[in-house]
Amino acid sequence: MKEAHRGPGIPEPDRQPAERSEDQLFMHLQRDQLVTETSRPLPRAALSARAAAALWALRVFVVLVGLMVVYTFIDQLR
Amino acid sequence: MLGENDGPSMIAYASDGAQYGLGFFVPLIPVLFAMAFICQEMCMRVGAVTHRGFGELVLQRYGRVWGWFGAGDLTLTNLVTLVAEFVSIRVGLAYFHLGSTVAVALGLALVVFTLSGGRYWRWERIVLGLALFNGLFLLAAILVKPHLGAVAGSLDFTPFPGGSFNTLLLLLASTVGATVTPWMIFFQQSASADKGMTHRDIKHGRYDTAAGAVLAAVFGVGALVAGAALLTHHGAGIQGFTSAGFPEALKHVAGSGAGSVFALGLIEAGAVAILTISASTAYAAGECAGVSHSFNNSPRSAIVFYAVNIAIALLAAVVILIPGAPLLSIALNANVLATVLLPVSLVFMVLLANDSALMGPWANKRSTNAAGITVITFVGLCGAAYGIDSFLLATRLIGP
Repeated sequence: MKEAHRGPGIPEPDRQPAERSEDQLFMHLQRDQLVTETSRPLPRAALSARAAAALWALRVFVVLVGLMVVYTFIDQLR
Repeated sequence: MLGENDGPSMIAYASDGAQYGLGFFVPLIPVLFAMAFICQEMCMRVGAVTHRGFGELVLQRYGRVWGWFGAGDLTLTNLVTLVAEFVSIRVGLAYFHLGSTVAVALGLALVVFTLSGGRYWRWERIVLGLALFNGLFLLAAILVKPHLGAVAGSLDFTPFPGGSFNTLLLLLASTVGATVTPWMIFFQQSASADKGMTHRDIKHGRYDTAAGAVLAAVFGVGALVAGAALLTHHGAGIQGFTSAGFPEALKHVAGSGAGSVFALGLIEAGAVAILTISASTAYAAGECAGVSHSFNNSPRSAIVFYAVNIAIALLAAVVILIPGAPLLSIALNANVLATVLLPVSLVFMVLLANDSALMGPWANKRSTNAAGITVITFVGLCGAAYGIDSFLLATRLIGP
């Protein structure tokens, strides 16, 4: 069987849904236990340099437009 | 989804109707709720498959910087929106000659009461019970006796709104911010995880989200149709959030029944949103701080979650008690700020829904990605257009 991605708390994508023992376990856990079960950290996802740059560009743009809205808001109060 | 029809949203829809009558915005509201469905379905699916909230996943998969940026945006927009919710309750209560103190006491008492059960299901049932009264806006629409032919005739997006371009952009950004919101992304995913949904529940989660979207769109159009009565009666005395303006104006043109129903609707819309928005802030705080964040935990074992839930509502309540605070401006800008800050969260939502290591066979399909990117582009353009145009007008770089 092909080796599955076994990061903590990450489902195994190359197995059939019905075989996902982790989810079977979740189904039978009490809700408090579920909260505890999902408290384990996940590994970092790899973002390409282009994707990271695009995200930062969008972030800067959003902050700039947000500042414009705040400026307009303050201007309208005067 | 019915929580999306919060106080400022219903005022935004009614303002669309009062400003432009039946026309462009009538079919736009269902289109916007279709966009909200696309976003909420993704959040519900990610929450059901990963059993984790949005803030937690962004923080762990993309790093603390992006996680805290998202939580910071959310806290800012939630605080402003919560102030608007309290104002909405105040407007509704003012119609019945009750003041700000009653609005604050009612809102805070509801938050504390819903937190006292120690179980997610209890909290959800109370909120759902309250949300049913969002149907009051449909009743208000019926009471103003609209011309059904005119409502049906507006479904072709005509007439297109005329008048001030900046006012149109303001109402467009505000209407978009009323349906697709930052707190909805955090809340939907965290709540799906908190209620213990798994991949087996995705199908029912879709039905649930779709039913909510249809009902919210119908009630939203109801608020617009009620507001449009003010246009056909020469827009008499629309004061928006000041005093009991909107319900009072409706009373004059359509009778005390319509005014009372609209006022009660505003109280309901504000109350439900106070519960969901303070919960979304508490989820985000707990997720980013890495501590317990569930309605299923006792207050003692999830002290940050419960404390933030109450503290954010308390902070917003204090603002509306400040004499001379610019409540009208805060309320009108709440949805706009949400629209402007939303695109980054939407991008992370699509990234998470495409994360095959997390989502496995439940990752986004190509068509879902196309729909998600369309929503991000539309929301981004609406927010940016209003922000830039208003800034240029305010700095007098362009004329009105």
